[in-house]
Amino acid sequence: MSPAEELATCQAALAGALGEAPTVGGAAPDPAGAAAPAGDAWLEVPAARWREACRAARDLPELGFDFLRSLAGVDRPEAGRIDVVAHLFSYRHRRALVLRTSLERAAPELDSVAQVWPAADWHERELWDLLGVRLRGHPDLRRLLLPEDWPGHPLRKDWQEPAEYRGIPTRREARATAGELAKQTYLAPRGLGRDPAGGQPDGGGGA
Amino acid sequence: MGFDLGMVLGFLVVSGVALLALLLLGKLLRPHRPEASKRVTYECGEPAVGPAWFNFNNRFYVIALVFVVFDVEVALVVPVAVVFREAVAAGAGLLAFTEMFLFLAVLLVALVYVWARGDLTWVRALTAGECREVEVGPRSPAP
Amino acid sequence: MSAAGDRPIIEAGPEGGFALGPLDGLLNLARKHSLWYLLFGTACCAIELMQTGGPRADADRFGFLFRPTPRQADVLILAGTITYRMASRIRRLHEQMAEPRYVIAMGSCANTGGLFQGSYSVVKGGDLIVPVDVYIPGCPPRPEALLEGLMLLQQKVEREPYLRKIRGELPLPADPWPAGKECKE
Repeated sequence: MSPAEELATCQAALAGALGEAPTVGGAAPDPAGAAAPAGDAWLEVPAARWREACRAARDLPELGFDFLRSLAGVDRPEAGRIDVVAHLFSYRHRRALVLRTSLERAAPELDSVAQVWPAADWHERELWDLLGVRLRGHPDLRRLLLPEDWPGHPLRKDWQEPAEYRGIPTRREARATAGELAKQTYLAPRGLGRDPAGGQPDGGGGA
Repeated sequence: MGFDLGMVLGFLVVSGVALLALLLLGKLLRPHRPEASKRVTYECGEPAVGPAWFNFNNRFYVIALVFVVFDVEVALVVPVAVVFREAVAAGAGLLAFTEMFLFLAVLLVALVYVWARGDLTWVRALTAGECREVEVGPRSPAP
Repeated sequence: MSAAGDRPIIEAGPEGGFALGPLDGLLNLARKHSLWYLLFGTACCAIELMQTGGPRADADRFGFLFRPTPRQADVLILAGTITYRMASRIRRLHEQMAEPRYVIAMGSCANTGGLFQGSYSVVKGGDLIVPVDVYIPGCPPRPEALLEGLMLLQQKVEREPYLRKIRGELPLPADPWPAGKECKE
């Protein structure tokens, strides 16, 4: 099966399951059916049918996408949307599929598919942590990578870095004053032929 | 005899004095900066959670008991094995062999019992009668 | 009165040897050849740290032994990238070490945040969290470079007025993160 035909099969199967055909987006696959992969073609489903579509993708025998490769998000502030992209793979049919949905950027909410693929658990926690997408029905929605009291969602394009976090400055320039730099001396180990930089008392450290 | 005991006493005294001297030397030669944060329980840098004492799985107890029994068995067989050649030369080889065989046979029965009872399997398999339906928690995927 | 840090005279003869020097010098001589480091590493520099403890670039011949617990460690080698989440753990480990204790920042990430300057989750240098004694540049520094850094630490230990330190007359290094004391997590 060529990639174009595979995409069409998946589209038809999902259309049967959801009642409405998902739209094809991205680079259109070559209609001539060349062996080259279709590239970034995806099937887009409405956000309200996300969990149904994922469940159908996993359960329908002609789809059989039992492996979630990744679940990620894309922030598109110019369109006011946040997209969620799921890369699926079917071991039975040896083919991949990209499912995509689009959310309102002001209050992004989506049904969790952790019950469909257990791998989605942590991928969705990362969506929440870095993009602020709230997953409904997630068993344990909390930050994955960043500390719990971190302000904001850093992968959003309008996120501002705070000046400090719990007292640690986030920029190093604040520390590099002239006096401090002068105190740091470089010493060479004796006997290696380099001149030691004088016997000055040390700056920082040395408890 | 008295000299030997005197040596023991001298040894104890010297070792005690040496210990105290080393501890005293350490106390004199280190900085003293006590802080509450230094006495916090070490848990690889994480804040310590839970008590340090917990219930051990009683599999360890069973395995330890079985080990002790068979370790003693080995300890009792080894001397016989060491002098077995002399026993054969003295004509008592068959007697020694039979005695050891009976000894090992008794302990073999014990091993078979422990084995058949399932005490040697680390993770015991549950039979159908021992299982019951439990409610699946929220983290399990729905079928 | 010779100044603290004068190197002791060490004579080694066929029937043994002796060392002669001021008490500070002798104590520092003993201490610098027995600096035990905490087994700690977060990223690639930790691999190089392991190799430095390995047979080829043997750190143990200098007396650097790794210890799994901060109670028995003298040196904390910050080997690897430090994230904000890791910062409180490093702080706690440093506080759990008994004095005299030293910190070595190994590699670019521990020196200044390294190549992750633009990252939101990386602390821009270990010296924003704990007071650092020696900085070793490199990404990662080769085992030879780490050994050079350890030797620099040995020189620093050698020059210390240790008796004054025992008596508590030396000021503590400036705490770069005073709020770290209250970190509960």
